Amino acid sequence: MTWDRRRFLRGVLAGGAAVTVGLPGLDVFLPSRGARADGGAFPPRFVLFFWGNGAHPDRWVPDETGPDYALSPQLAPLASVKDVITVVSGCDVKVPNLYPHGSGEKGILSGAPVFKDGEVETFAGPTIDQLIAAEIGGETRFRSIEFGAEGGHLSYSGPHRPNPTENSPHALFERLFGEGFRAPGDAGVVDPKIALRRSVLDAVISDAQALERRLGAADKRRLEAHLDGVRAIELRLARLEADPPQRLACVRPDGPMGDFDPVDGRAQVLAKNRVMCDMIAMALACDQTRVASNFITQPVNNILFEGATAGHHQLTHDEPAEQPQVDAIVKTLVGEMAYFIDALRAIPEGDGTLLDNCAFMATSEVSYGRTHSLDEMPIVLAGRAGGTLRTGFHYRSPSRENASKVHVTLMRALGIVTPGFGADEGFASDGIGALEA
Amino acid sequence: MRYTLLASLLALIGCGESTTTPPPPTPEPPPDEAPAPPDLTTVDFDPGPARMRRLTANQYAAVVTDLFGPDVVPPARLEPDSRTAGSLALGATVTTVSPRGVELYVDGAAALAGQVLAPERRDRWVRCTPDATVDDACARDTLRALGRRAWRRPLADDELDRLVTVSARAAEVLDDFHAGLEYGVAALLASPAFVYRVELGDADGALDPYAMASRLSFFFWNTGPDDALLDAAADGALDTPAGLRGEAERLAADPRVEAGVRAFFADLLELDRLGAMTKAPELFPHFDETLGPAAREETLAGLVTLVVDERGDYRDVMTTRRAVVDPKLASLYTVRAPARRGFAEVWLPEDGPRLGLLGQASTLALHSHPVSTSATLRGMFVRETLLCQTMPDPPAGVDTSIPEPSGDAPTLRDRVGEHLEAPECAGCHTLMDPIGLALEHFDGIGRYRPTDNGATIDPSGTLDGVPFDGPEGLAHAIREHPAFGPCLVERLYRYALGRVPERGEDAMLDALAQRFSHDGYDVLGLMVELAASPAFRRVGLDDTTDSEGEGTR
Repeated sequence: MTWDRRRFLRGVLAGGAAVTVGLPGLDVFLPSRGARADGGAFPPRFVLFFWGNGAHPDRWVPDETGPDYALSPQLAPLASVKDVITVVSGCDVKVPNLYPHGSGEKGILSGAPVFKDGEVETFAGPTIDQLIAAEIGGETRFRSIEFGAEGGHLSYSGPHRPNPTENSPHALFERLFGEGFRAPGDAGVVDPKIALRRSVLDAVISDAQALERRLGAADKRRLEAHLDGVRAIELRLARLEADPPQRLACVRPDGPMGDFDPVDGRAQVLAKNRVMCDMIAMALACDQTRVASNFITQPVNNILFEGATAGHHQLTHDEPAEQPQVDAIVKTLVGEMAYFIDALRAIPEGDGTLLDNCAFMATSEVSYGRTHSLDEMPIVLAGRAGGTLRTGFHYRSPSRENASKVHVTLMRALGIVTPGFGADEGFASDGIGALEA
Repeated sequence: MRYTLLASLLALIGCGESTTTPPPPTPEPPPDEAPAPPDLTTVDFDPGPARMRRLTANQYAAVVTDLFGPDVVPPARLEPDSRTAGSLALGATVTTVSPRGVELYVDGAAALAGQVLAPERRDRWVRCTPDATVDDACARDTLRALGRRAWRRPLADDELDRLVTVSARAAEVLDDFHAGLEYGVAALLASPAFVYRVELGDADGALDPYAMASRLSFFFWNTGPDDALLDAAADGALDTPAGLRGEAERLAADPRVEAGVRAFFADLLELDRLGAMTKAPELFPHFDETLGPAAREETLAGLVTLVVDERGDYRDVMTTRRAVVDPKLASLYTVRAPARRGFAEVWLPEDGPRLGLLGQASTLALHSHPVSTSATLRGMFVRETLLCQTMPDPPAGVDTSIPEPSGDAPTLRDRVGEHLEAPECAGCHTLMDPIGLALEHFDGIGRYRPTDNGATIDPSGTLDGVPFDGPEGLAHAIREHPAFGPCLVERLYRYALGRVPERGEDAMLDALAQRFSHDGYDVLGLMVELAASPAFRRVGLDDTTDSEGEGTR
């Protein structure tokens, strides 16, 4: 509860703009109204939106700074959510840019350079979503959820520890809202089979522990991570027996319709993204998870977007001059970002919305795809993390700051005490004060 | 010592360094003067460590089918395999399973157990008649027999005790012996002992015989050991060189070796990627969702014929005119379909440009863009996958675009001119692009085209000093390239052991390459030699460390 109290006090002390935020922390002091009341304070959430192959910095960065700025051409699809976003420009990924796309994805997501393990390149440490999940993800059914229209893996818990992106809307639905889900008002499940399932897990843990003693260090770490996964299932079973969280806005959604297969050889990125964004917004509202990452497309993806004459990645390199097709694809993806932000804003929470209690970050692994540049990274924030973040303006770094400072800002806004974010050239210890409320 | 240079041939070619010097010529000596093949048992080498390997999705499914029969359906979803340094076998060794992946294993085990103990099937495994709801002896017998196959070794008493306890408790709660046993079987299949292949060595650095049995069976059959192989492990047959060779030869002669050969080449050639290929339908009317799987089958069926059925010279994979095609591919290749449906052999025209692996849709389409060919991707495939030469990424921050076709520069050769001249590009691109340019008569899905944007295509070039005038010459140049055979040896070694060979293993790789050459490039023969060699049996120290520091075998 320390987080809520701190935030509550901060809201009171800060006055002014912060007071206009729904002060969700106050709910803690309201008398319970049974199933109709929201149980407890609204927790902070972290939401990531990541797309591959970058943008065009010259058409991305708005001309003006501060609250009275006009959206740039590539940010124009965010018009409907402009008041709840913050555009961050002028920040660079500072890790050495040695591997096209590879250095950028590691730099922007983990703040660290590529880790070269023999012939194999991997992440040196956890990505931002996993760092945050380790701090705020422990109380929900799922510590974190990784999804996206394309699949692949960009969320890492450490070197060679990917959390694969779920790209099937049906599988995502089943996991979030299938058998193990109970809506607010449902009673805790009483079923002797839960204890039997637990005894299966206990046997698995005993097997693993016996094996672990005989393994080398690297394999021991892999098996320990496997065991953590088993323990997470045990916690989920325990939660099944308890009453589900009380959330007024939480209703079990309908399952996705359709198969989302490619149409005429073109992947259905938009249709898939939207149905998954809606589902995730509800999963957050139902407090099934507090950390959700949408990897809508992958670095170097060669998806044939609607109307494009070549794959996205190939176009970023070979389309001449102003690259009108790449421009259209970037705007399409920014439109999907707007859809996601809007889905989070559409859910009421206390006197505000779900988005108010989120720290939302959108970015890509390069700024200018054609040259794989890591300067002037495209970053959009949204939500106020319960009132600790400021929105509705364009922040332009005066000094080409390290992009990792954005991550530090978000972690601290979520109540996480951290010495910084990243490693080596990518490390930053300070946040960006201007982004804080 | 013409072979001592083989390991160095596999090393990184330093892009930008002088690469115009051809490798030393290696004229084939007349057969009667050929050097005796090395004795692999006496090669002085340092074995690398054994690691814990996760079953790939295909292996998991194959093991389930072996254990329970084709009517038990493996889980539809498991943690996806992860390709690491180009290989699923390596990914299975280094990657850690995510929490979601663990969930899928546990749920999958429960679903399998439910099927296995369904009333219509359970008598296949439950050979005793329970005399009460809780009958520990009957549960124990069933779990012991299933466990030996599932865990690929006999279960220790305490391990069996655990499973029997789980079953008994569930039987009591559910008042049903078989419903209770379902929980014991779920625990058996959710265990790391099922999901991972645990390879442990003894104090002398010899692999445990049951781990050896698994190594053999997954290598040759891509599935777990059969009873005969487990028996061989139990009675010590795998501890003697002769016994080991005998088992390796039995596995190589079994029809199931086809599955193993397919798995190796599908991994090597990354044929799994054919399932999710994107090609612009308006440019490639022949492309639809059936092309990728058909192209994969062509490549694998051809390799099975060459490697398993004929035990032929592997190098012929580059130059053969025999293709195994279905009507779809026959139409793409403009040859008469050899069968109304399904795959059958057809001989491609002897004077045509299409031959061997580089004439197959799988290779040509995978190493192309969604809308066009790519000289660089195709060249990189030859360098990295077929010759084991590492091509570094382009430097970041360099504009890697190639110009659109124009009147002055209609062909890809004209357009990639810059790669071949700009100093920051040329170092590597002169190694890759000329290979790909030889294949420019084949479009982005492998269909023949006489011209590129109406202009004549020049498919000539050189490969490491050997000139060629088109695809046929290129195919022969690769076939005769001194790194071609050793590269396959190196890739097979990686695949068999699930790790990148260490420096100390170069001598063994060289010796295996000599053996491969001496034996006429017989891949199954090479597999037997590798399996019977100390490389397969001996395990080095696992020197991966953590804060506690100590390595173990």
